[in-house]
Amino acid sequence: MRRPEEEEEEERSSPGWRRIPINDNADLLAEILGRLDGRSLAVAGCVCRLWNALARREAVWEVVCYRHVASAGASAAAGGTRSVVAALGGYRRLYRLCIGPALDRLAGVRRRQGPAAAARHVSLSLALSLFSIDCYERLGGGGGRQQQPPPTSLLFLGKPVDVS
Amino acid sequence: MKRQHEDAGREGDCPVAMGLETGKGKMVPMMTTGDGECGVDELLAALGYKVRASDMADVAHKLEQLDVAMSSDDASHFPQFASDTVHYDPSDLSTWLDSMLCEVNSPLPTLLPSPTATAHCSNGHSLSISSNSTVTKDSTAAPPSASGVYDFEPVPSPAAASVGRVVYETDPQSEKILSPRDSKRIRTCSSSSSSGGPTKEVASFLKQATAALPVVVVDTQETGIRLVHALLACGEAVQQENLNAADALVKQISVLAAFQRGPMRKVAGYFAEALARRIYRHNPLPQADRVALDFLHSHFYESAPYLKFAHFTANQAILEAFAGCHRVHVVDFGLKQGMQWPALLQALALRPGGPPSFRLTGIGPPQTDNSDELQEVGWKLTMLSENIGIDFHFRGFLASSLADIEPQMLLEPEGKKGERDGGDEAVAVNSVMELHQLLARPGAVEKVLGTARALRPRIMTVVEEEANHNGRTFLERFTESLHYYSSMFDSLDNGANGEAEEEIEEQRRHREMADAYLGRQICNVVASEGMDRTERHETLGRWRERMAQAGFEPVHLGSNAFKQANMLLALYASGDGFRVEEAEGCLTLGWHTRPLIATSAWRIGAAAAIR
Repeated sequence: MRRPEEEEEEERSSPGWRRIPINDNADLLAEILGRLDGRSLAVAGCVCRLWNALARREAVWEVVCYRHVASAGASAAAGGTRSVVAALGGYRRLYRLCIGPALDRLAGVRRRQGPAAAARHVSLSLALSLFSIDCYERLGGGGGRQQQPPPTSLLFLGKPVDVS
Repeated sequence: MKRQHEDAGREGDCPVAMGLETGKGKMVPMMTTGDGECGVDELLAALGYKVRASDMADVAHKLEQLDVAMSSDDASHFPQFASDTVHYDPSDLSTWLDSMLCEVNSPLPTLLPSPTATAHCSNGHSLSISSNSTVTKDSTAAPPSASGVYDFEPVPSPAAASVGRVVYETDPQSEKILSPRDSKRIRTCSSSSSSGGPTKEVASFLKQATAALPVVVVDTQETGIRLVHALLACGEAVQQENLNAADALVKQISVLAAFQRGPMRKVAGYFAEALARRIYRHNPLPQADRVALDFLHSHFYESAPYLKFAHFTANQAILEAFAGCHRVHVVDFGLKQGMQWPALLQALALRPGGPPSFRLTGIGPPQTDNSDELQEVGWKLTMLSENIGIDFHFRGFLASSLADIEPQMLLEPEGKKGERDGGDEAVAVNSVMELHQLLARPGAVEKVLGTARALRPRIMTVVEEEANHNGRTFLERFTESLHYYSSMFDSLDNGANGEAEEEIEEQRRHREMADAYLGRQICNVVASEGMDRTERHETLGRWRERMAQAGFEPVHLGSNAFKQANMLLALYASGDGFRVEEAEGCLTLGWHTRPLIATSAWRIGAAAAIR
């Protein structure tokens, strides 16, 4: 059994090795966090303040979202998409309300019927459509109505993924 | 041979009829009417029951009556049976049965057993009675449960047209030979029982009814089939204006529906209510106010994929038709809550080339209260469009019927045309489940389609229910709607899956509202007539004809719409049962093999454009 210090010694002596303290470089950390899936990213946001701030970055969630959806020609329209999504509530919210539950639902289908059955995936346009409907529902009515019924259009997807 | 049949019967047994959990029972070997030894039947004697061979058929008949009566009674009777000791000696089976029948059918426990009734089954029956409980000879135990599985062979009589129909034993001819005491007993029993004795009610009205109505003794697994038979028979009775029979059948339906679970129960319940309304000529359902209707509609929107499917496919067609246009105008024949448009707005905002300037004209029925729903919806859409950066204008129209709208009202006012750039605007007309309501008034739908054509739209999207509920005869409409709404309720029932996902409390509430929404439709189709009957669904084929007559030609919905629809359905919990199908360019969404809603797109036909 080699002791941990011996291992470290060996690693440090190999050429090209360099320690990079991850917390010093926010962008690098963001890049790494962007490769997580939604839930893990949310968990990562509970580690410390720095990580929490990064885990709330829209850019990080944007990467996460794009990785999980299939979209045709995403890069071309990315700029316009960003502003629309931001207007509708942001990528984190998009994941929480639409993409996350949809992925869960599809995973459930895959579980139930085997991997072959769930060749379907979530498409960005579909997710955005649902997102826009939800956003629309949340807009208040004009001054008249006191009680707002809670938005319901996404209920069919099941519970929103907890990414807070 | 007898034993083999008995074994086969036992394997196919279903669980004992509900409520009868005395825990003990008897096993009665199969009896055939040809068993005729005089004196006591040997096999039963071996078990401790004395039954004369000549009475066998009658005893079987009474056993079946008792089973029906016990299984349809309130639960309040059961504790009495479960806890009481033996009242009467069960070894004399036929008298015991008489007394049990009396007890079950009337609340007074003091009726004396009467001598054996001489009513007998019609010839040709062969009854096999078996139950899967153990034999007991202990006569001091609780009375043996008389439940069991009955397998009837269909009576080879001309009246029995389909399997499962059985001519009821107390035919008019056999009624005469009942002893006076028996008939009195039957009368007292039936008068004191309300819904507890459907067999007696049926017997009483059968004298009047001309046709042999199907009354099959219950096997709990077959109550579903019985229920459907009863519903169809009631429909026939209403069609023939035989209101007495229909009335009794409606009551029977309500009783049978209580046996069912889930979607069948709801469907039967709503149809029974609608039939009752029709029979008793209650006033049609009061016109619910707009808020309540919208409420139900929005819940239906949430809990079933049909409306979302409709909106998404229509939006896709409109999006493709608007490709390259800088000014677009959408006319929505039924704005309701405007749930279709956020998705289109978002898609237009994200399209390559940037969003067009968007005008929406929404049409809705006039308000009963002071609130202006249309304007609120317009306001919300305006807010959304501002957020996502689309130049949006809204106009609302109140019209109690679409036929009141003139094309001039909808077209852009002349003066403004010159100010805007980008040339003429592209128009799309959208109608989701609105056109069928116009069929109540002759000529209305042609006028509306003419109005739509006068707007010179690039595309007209039509979504309608895929059903024929506008047949000429009531029976046609009734049976069609029975099938349609059965499929519809089936699809809403999330428990259809083997591994049903947990339904959130809210989801269940939504589903109940959605059920109520469909229930109103059922009531309208079945109970209303004339101008009140607004739910006049027609099939896609018929709509195609109408559109062609109005000068439209079909536009194929592309594969994008198809794919999006499929993806949407994958997200629904019971996604498996839903099927998206393409039929000559139109998309239909259905449950298993039954299409329930159809989206189609149209543009002005080349021939008509020249006119």
